[in-house]
Amino acid sequence: MGVVVALLCVPLLGSRYLVDLTTEILIYALFALSLNVLIGYAGNVSFGHAAYFAIGGYSCAILLTTYQWPLWLSFPAAVGLSAGAALIIGYFCVRLTDIYFAMLTLAFSMLVWSAAFKWRTMTGGDDGFVGVNVPALLEDRVAFYYFAVGVVSLSTALLWRICHSAFGRTLVAVRENSLRAGFVGIDVRRIRLAAFVVAGFFAGIAGALFAMYNRGMYTESAFWTESAQVLIMTLLGGMYSFFGPALGAAVLYLLEVSINQYTEYWPAILGTLLVLIVLFLPHGLAGLAQKTRRARKV
Amino acid sequence: MLTNPTFLFLQTLNAIALGMNLFIIAAGLTLIFGVLRVINFAHGAFFMLGAYVCYSIVEQAGNFWLGVLGAGLALALLAWAIERALLQRLYAREPLAQLLFTFALVLILGDAVKMVWGSEQYSVAYPAGLERAVDLGIAHYPAYLLFLCGLGPVVALALWLLLERTRWGRIMRAARQDREMLAVLGINVPLVYNGVFVAGAALAGMGGALAAPRLALTPGMDANIVVECFIIVIIGGLGSLWGSFLGALILGIVTVFGAVLVPEWEMVLPYALMLAVLLWRPWGLFGRAQG
Amino acid sequence: MKKMVGLSLAVLLVVALAQKGWAGESIKIGALYPTSGSGAVFGGPAMLGHQMAVEEINAAGGIDGRTPIVTFARDTKLKPAVAAAAAKELITKEGVNVLIGGLSSAVGLAISEVARREKVVYIATIPKTIQMTTSKLHPYVFRTAPNTDIEGRGIARTMGQLGAKKLCQIQFDYAYGHDLAAGIAKALPQEAAGAEIVLDLKVKLGTTDYNAYIAQIMSAGCEGVVSGLWGAAFITFAQQARPFGFFEQVKYVSGGEIASHEIASKMKGNYPDNVWSNAYELWYHDASPLHKPYQKELARRQGQQETGGWPVLSYIGVKFVEAAVTKAKSLEAEALIAALEGLSIETPVGRRTIDAKTHQANTGQFWGPMKKMDQYEFRMMDPVTYIPGD
Repeated sequence: MGVVVALLCVPLLGSRYLVDLTTEILIYALFALSLNVLIGYAGNVSFGHAAYFAIGGYSCAILLTTYQWPLWLSFPAAVGLSAGAALIIGYFCVRLTDIYFAMLTLAFSMLVWSAAFKWRTMTGGDDGFVGVNVPALLEDRVAFYYFAVGVVSLSTALLWRICHSAFGRTLVAVRENSLRAGFVGIDVRRIRLAAFVVAGFFAGIAGALFAMYNRGMYTESAFWTESAQVLIMTLLGGMYSFFGPALGAAVLYLLEVSINQYTEYWPAILGTLLVLIVLFLPHGLAGLAQKTRRARKV
Repeated sequence: MLTNPTFLFLQTLNAIALGMNLFIIAAGLTLIFGVLRVINFAHGAFFMLGAYVCYSIVEQAGNFWLGVLGAGLALALLAWAIERALLQRLYAREPLAQLLFTFALVLILGDAVKMVWGSEQYSVAYPAGLERAVDLGIAHYPAYLLFLCGLGPVVALALWLLLERTRWGRIMRAARQDREMLAVLGINVPLVYNGVFVAGAALAGMGGALAAPRLALTPGMDANIVVECFIIVIIGGLGSLWGSFLGALILGIVTVFGAVLVPEWEMVLPYALMLAVLLWRPWGLFGRAQG
Repeated sequence: MKKMVGLSLAVLLVVALAQKGWAGESIKIGALYPTSGSGAVFGGPAMLGHQMAVEEINAAGGIDGRTPIVTFARDTKLKPAVAAAAAKELITKEGVNVLIGGLSSAVGLAISEVARREKVVYIATIPKTIQMTTSKLHPYVFRTAPNTDIEGRGIARTMGQLGAKKLCQIQFDYAYGHDLAAGIAKALPQEAAGAEIVLDLKVKLGTTDYNAYIAQIMSAGCEGVVSGLWGAAFITFAQQARPFGFFEQVKYVSGGEIASHEIASKMKGNYPDNVWSNAYELWYHDASPLHKPYQKELARRQGQQETGGWPVLSYIGVKFVEAAVTKAKSLEAEALIAALEGLSIETPVGRRTIDAKTHQANTGQFWGPMKKMDQYEFRMMDPVTYIPGD
């Protein structure tokens, strides 16, 4: 709750740059939270999550600008499209597990990327879709910021309900031991597909927000490196905690922006960070926080 | 256009040359996965490093073949160090950990290349003796590319002989099947793993050096090659040598002919191919179905 | 006595502060060029030209002798997403008054959009896509580079003079390539009657393997090839095409300034025959009285007599900013816009005027064949023909 209040106060500091920064962090936090439904709760590692972010983003941009639809139509339609894509793609992916599942998600997302690249007339191709027709009410930077805070908070609350419901617990059961879960009568494939669609749904929201914030979509958003980035955010924050990925998104983003000011070698630093996480911090920052809290209690 | 014999001839050779070059690189990837069960994301970075090392050697010593050997050696050393110091610790962990580690390598090695060689684009000339065009009757064709066409099968055969006819090969195949049994039999399993990783990386490095005259050296050249390698080993089957050979040929043909016949969808074809294989026969053409 | 001293000190202080207040105001320019990756071969020299102009102006105390220029440079990496984010950061964080630069057309369009939204003047010094001054035109964008229609006309005219009729085309698959193809198509009927494009290839920007495209052109039997493969891409393309006997079979007419000295000196003896192309400036060609001093100073900075042709564009961009601020006597965007429209200055490559309606400068280019020179390792354009921008 304190976080929400702090977020609401950001524009009061009067810096355009800070408002922009926080808006982007919020969007990526939601993106990472959505992925965690798949990785943390369902235990399925996806290399192609950027596809739903991109579909949500491009759809929103195109519907608002090329077709001049109003926001209250474009936004849900965009999210619906990415959820729909998740349904179709997920249907095929959940028939495989582990490495083959991961490879298939990668293949599908690269397919989305090449469609975005080649469909110049719709998406602008390699030049990107430049210029999004954002409704006048949200034209102002601060107005859009509050809109983003609202949407992300609502989405996070929804995700919380989903992950802590019976459905969420079933997901964890399937993750821990899918064989046994099957014996108990759970339709493993159906549950995994549901998780896939939920993840795609919220990624689509993040994408649509991003398209409006950025006033444009570029093919980079669908490339496998974008999927890798959100994966790292989720892991850095901690995939076994609910809010971990949001924390990971914020930390990673701020680190990148700060370090980019001093050196162009951010990827090397990110890589080193990743090695350290893998070797010493498998439960991410959230795990670290939990350990220190537990240590302190003792 | 398909009725144009010059076109068919040239493009088929292009497809084979590309495929064979890709095979040499992908062979390393499939080898590493077959024995270590690690998907080496960093394979593209090894390829890139090999190309750059070759460039430097050619600049200094003027000999291309020295460059290829040097690239292989450099990658072998680097891979030995990486496996010994870091990768070893992750074998007992879940696959995600190993994957992330190799991805981290991609980031680090990519920047390392930028730090050492800068961000400019470099080219390596075709080696002396192979820089001319060969008159093949129908058309002229670069001699170096013909050389690649021939080299591929030679490397495939050499690797096959190594795996099937030597003691080392038997150990490697056994490691694929049952590591614990191997350890019980007294074989130094960590050494085997190390050796395979080193060999795979060396293949990638040499593949990169061999590709250098064909491409432009630029940071970021690893991003494309790694996806291409994945597609090849998925089509052929993770762990299968001849699968990679066939997969590489198929990808070469699809890439080359796709680029000129269906330019609108050329980009989509490799991924569509990967998708088709994963949906119909996930373990690839020559792989074994997992339990 | 003390009161007198105190009063005069106070007056002096006020006068001094007032001076500082006026002279202390500087103009912040955000410079966006690709300084890494495949664009660096041109982006680096562009940055050099920018710095040369800025230092020249600041040495005299700044614009009009009192407004120094402060540059904030960002690397666009040839990616529109990176450029847009950098442009936004330059405006919101650094508070720049003017954006300048862009190299690739896609980057130019992305920066232009940011400029439009944030209401900051953007001077496109290098991107050529025609869209920037037609369908995507807005009050804040100006272009001192030529555009794809002008360049297309240059290509068509050169090919027309060569008399080749059966043409193949290879272009990049992004805004520049598509718009250049359109520019060529527009100009071909007038400049090269009877010529026809029988094969039209599009290649992804950043491709490094051209073998399939080369083979296709070879088997199509074209007499001439029109192209827009610029920068390092041409170097790679030429290297891969030569063993096929490509340049013996076709006449290669290309936009993208591959006749510039940067490319010629990099390729040296490997520069192929039968190539006609353009350049913005040639160190060995004096098109204006300002050229000699400009070239001499550039040679001093680059450490060699033979200088490249890319710094001149960014140099001209900064010169236009100088002229605009001097005329407007203000750093406000609206005042700068009014000053830039119709502004005309003398540059090292001739007089340039910005059209008040289209915000496009009448920038032409030098065209000609690249000949092998006995006294030099690299090729040079001979003869040089100036094809104007209007």
